[in-house]
Amino acid sequence: MTEPIDPQAPAMPEAPTGPYVYDYMAAPNRQVVLPKTVPLPSLRTYQAEVVTAAAADEAKWQKQLADFEVAKAKAEVEGKDAPKPPVRAVPRKDDNDLKTPWPTEAKDADLLKLQELLGDKVEEIFEQAGERVCQVKKEAVLEALKVCRDAASLKYEMLADQSATHYPAAKDFAFSIVYHLTSVSRCQRLRLRILVPEGFIPESACSLYPSANWMEREIYDMLGIRFANHPDMTRILCPEDWEGFPLRKEYPTVGLGQRDIDFRDDRGGVLNRLAMEKAGQMGINLKQPKAD
Amino acid sequence: MPTMNLTQTMVMGLIQVVAVLILIFVMVPLLTFAERKVIGYIQVRLGATRTAGGHVGITGALNRGMWAMGKVPMLSILRGLPVFVADILKLILKEDIIPAKAERSVFTLAPIISVLAAFGVFSAIAFYPGALFTFPARFPIVGGLPFMGFISDVNVGVLYILALSSVGVYGIVLGAWASNSKYPLLGGLRSAAQIISYEVPLTLSLLTPVLLAGSLNFKDLSVRLSTGADMHWLAIFPLFVGFFVYTTCGFAETNRTPFDLPEAETELVAGFHTEYSGMKFGFFYLAEYTNMIVVSCFASAFFLGGYYLLPFGLQRFIPASVPFLGQPSILFFFLKVFTILFAFLWVRATVPRYRYDQLMDVGWKYLLPLTLVNLFAAALIRFAF
Amino acid sequence: MFKNEEMEINLGPQHPSTHGVLRVKLHLDGETVTKCTPIIGYLHRGVEKICENQTYFQGQVWTDRMDYVASISNNLGWAEGVEKLFGIEVPRRAKYIRTMLTEQNRLASHLLWLATHALDIGAMTVFLYAFREREYLLDLFEAFCGARLTTTAFRIGGLREDLPPGFIKSAQAFQDRFLPCIDEYEELLTENRIWKKRTVGVAKLNAEDCIALGVTGPVLRAAGVPYDIRKAFPNAAYAEMDFEIPTRPEADTYARYLVRLAEMRQSHRIIQQCIEGLPEGPVMAKIPKILRSEVNEVYHPIEAPKGELGYYFVGEKGGTMPYRMHVRAPSFVNLQALSKMTEGRLLADVIAAIGTLDVVLGEIDR
Repeated sequence: MTEPIDPQAPAMPEAPTGPYVYDYMAAPNRQVVLPKTVPLPSLRTYQAEVVTAAAADEAKWQKQLADFEVAKAKAEVEGKDAPKPPVRAVPRKDDNDLKTPWPTEAKDADLLKLQELLGDKVEEIFEQAGERVCQVKKEAVLEALKVCRDAASLKYEMLADQSATHYPAAKDFAFSIVYHLTSVSRCQRLRLRILVPEGFIPESACSLYPSANWMEREIYDMLGIRFANHPDMTRILCPEDWEGFPLRKEYPTVGLGQRDIDFRDDRGGVLNRLAMEKAGQMGINLKQPKAD
Repeated sequence: MPTMNLTQTMVMGLIQVVAVLILIFVMVPLLTFAERKVIGYIQVRLGATRTAGGHVGITGALNRGMWAMGKVPMLSILRGLPVFVADILKLILKEDIIPAKAERSVFTLAPIISVLAAFGVFSAIAFYPGALFTFPARFPIVGGLPFMGFISDVNVGVLYILALSSVGVYGIVLGAWASNSKYPLLGGLRSAAQIISYEVPLTLSLLTPVLLAGSLNFKDLSVRLSTGADMHWLAIFPLFVGFFVYTTCGFAETNRTPFDLPEAETELVAGFHTEYSGMKFGFFYLAEYTNMIVVSCFASAFFLGGYYLLPFGLQRFIPASVPFLGQPSILFFFLKVFTILFAFLWVRATVPRYRYDQLMDVGWKYLLPLTLVNLFAAALIRFAF
Repeated sequence: MFKNEEMEINLGPQHPSTHGVLRVKLHLDGETVTKCTPIIGYLHRGVEKICENQTYFQGQVWTDRMDYVASISNNLGWAEGVEKLFGIEVPRRAKYIRTMLTEQNRLASHLLWLATHALDIGAMTVFLYAFREREYLLDLFEAFCGARLTTTAFRIGGLREDLPPGFIKSAQAFQDRFLPCIDEYEELLTENRIWKKRTVGVAKLNAEDCIALGVTGPVLRAAGVPYDIRKAFPNAAYAEMDFEIPTRPEADTYARYLVRLAEMRQSHRIIQQCIEGLPEGPVMAKIPKILRSEVNEVYHPIEAPKGELGYYFVGEKGGTMPYRMHVRAPSFVNLQALSKMTEGRLLADVIAAIGTLDVVLGEIDR
């Protein structure tokens, strides 16, 4: 669906030049706890974590052994009974049906083929929970999508879904954008992922997959990632004049003037109303009152 | 018929007009009630039941008793009968809104045109060819005068009716235009196109009986057609075809399903009367239902045998000497009218709506040639046999 | 003197046949649509943001409010998506019950579609006939979970409770009376000349366009592509069920109508198999009271009545709430095809196209 840009549509907002600077934290009662971790599933990270955890475990065990030796030597010197030798702690096995799916090495033919075709543009491939994940360089996303769609052995004809996640705690990127591709003819699925920093404008997938049109508009609307060469890069779910991007992690879940006052102290709602009047808004739109 | 002086003529005319108006104002609300009930029963539900004399009084006691026994009251067909009174009250009492940017005078005039055109038609319709009864001599002024089954006996009644019923569309188009809104405008455009398109086959299909009977007078035409006087037996075929064409066009003329495009609520919200409310809307409503009655009267009189029992000129097989069945009766006439009105409701509950272009196709490509051929056949039968 | 002006008209957001608060901006040349722009967002409640601040157990409640005519399908997608995130295997009995309820909900959703679509086109009676059967289904849902529309039917790991006593009997009673009812709808519509005139060849969308636009569900199957997630990526107990994927080659409104009716018959078959083969056993897996996820990311698609309903979860280490939740709503993606289906056609066809896409605005706007 490549319709021309409606001349009556509101002008496209300017791209933020630097890091996104809208200061939500300044508003009272809208303190947001930003996440401290980067929950980006990745085989490499997982393996590193496993190695670190094993090393930590080993170090702990060695320390326990060393402590034991020291204690034994001390006991011998003091002529007391030798202390019990330490037992290496086995991880406690939970009595439940959870089998956490960890990321595993990519053995799937599609992923290997994709790596072969794209070469060093692929950053990582792995499988997790029975799903294929391929992370590519952010500049090469269009090329990767084209390969996925057109390569005879891949043929991912349909872009089923596209969404993005905000990672404020990450250092060298701010968002991950995922493309869920479906091969209708082969009944296969693939997740293509790119990591983009704040302010980066990735290529739009609309030229390859027309279904990306609204999905990218939604991503723009919700997270503020703009896409290059998109036919109509405007807000889709929020009103045109909405401020802020709701699915960013720093976006508060409480509006201005909303539930400032505990309702148990304010049965009649007088204080609440006063607070709303003071805020100048009904807590519906998040426009901040302009400072002088 | 005794000759009447001027006063008598005027008073009799007034009485006749009032009688017909009462007839309309009783039939239209009853028709709306019947519509609720008939469609309700077709659609496996009860129709209007809430506004019922079903909670108080004798019927109320009966109803409550039956509910208590776990049965749906047998009177439930009449439950909800007062809804038509409620309907009228609602329409009268509702706020009458004229949109700020509407053309006020035309906006007010439009429903009046519609309803007047619909009512005016009745002046030439004969519900019975002769006198229904005679006023007793003790009555002042009108004593001894017959109460006729029609208001006036116009020589060119059919022509008059056709002309007047075409005026009705002006009400719709003007109302749509005066609303100064988009949906009504679309509805008005549709209406204009539709009614003009269907006017042609409608008139042509009415020409068939006119040609066969050789008269333009409503009751003469009806009587000649039903008794089959000086008509060849083959005339039944063009009459039969004419009946179907006429009914189809009648559905279109009255904006009923499947031709309810001007007020297609799922497309145009409410079509030409989107901006109307209160009694102005009530007038459009009244006009539509009155037109349904008019169409039914026409089809009944010209094709279904009118005041006689059998349709399409088959009445000739029942000699006039047979006491009740061989004689004309207002009962037969209204029986047929109600049958066709029932068909109106039945069709509404059964078929979907045509699309605009398909509607035009049906009118111009199928009905018009069909009526022309039919008319030719009628002429052939009339003059060759 | 004469100028040719296009009329710009807003179909909605308050309009009898836009099935909610959809607004379609139409440019009309007479009755012909020259441009059609769907505008959405009037029902946006920020479900994704809310679900990021609710635990995995609480979030399911919000899925009811998305596609509110097929909330059990939404619940199924949520529950299975979370189970995939945590690696929970659901007991077989629970899978069967889920399948049965989801199929019953598909029937309810298709019945509502049939009712409103027919009403849009002007066939009024089918509306009430279809609602008659839908009431029965909603009563079944109420018997199972206490709610007719906002069901929150399943729990993560299975079901909260087993089927109530008498449920199977009532479900079987519905099974016995339902097939003749479909015949009744078909009698009213399938060979109806006006119905065919209004639907045959209207709002065509061929298979290539469907796939390019991401259109799934009955619309795609009516274009001749036998793609059904229940077969392609079997979830719940669909792998054990014997059913067919009805397809039609015509790719028009009439074909979609036939496909949906055929799907209703197939759903009926699946429910029958669930009733007959319902295994014994527990209905809930053993899961901890508080679910704490690992770093993980899953996308779980299911075949909702409208098409592919996908849930995308990102789990945080030790998190009890999803770090990110995204819904791939079938109606949202399908609605993109509206412009393509209607431009150059008549106003009445726009109504038919909106009806045949079977959109639910709660799901589009989320």
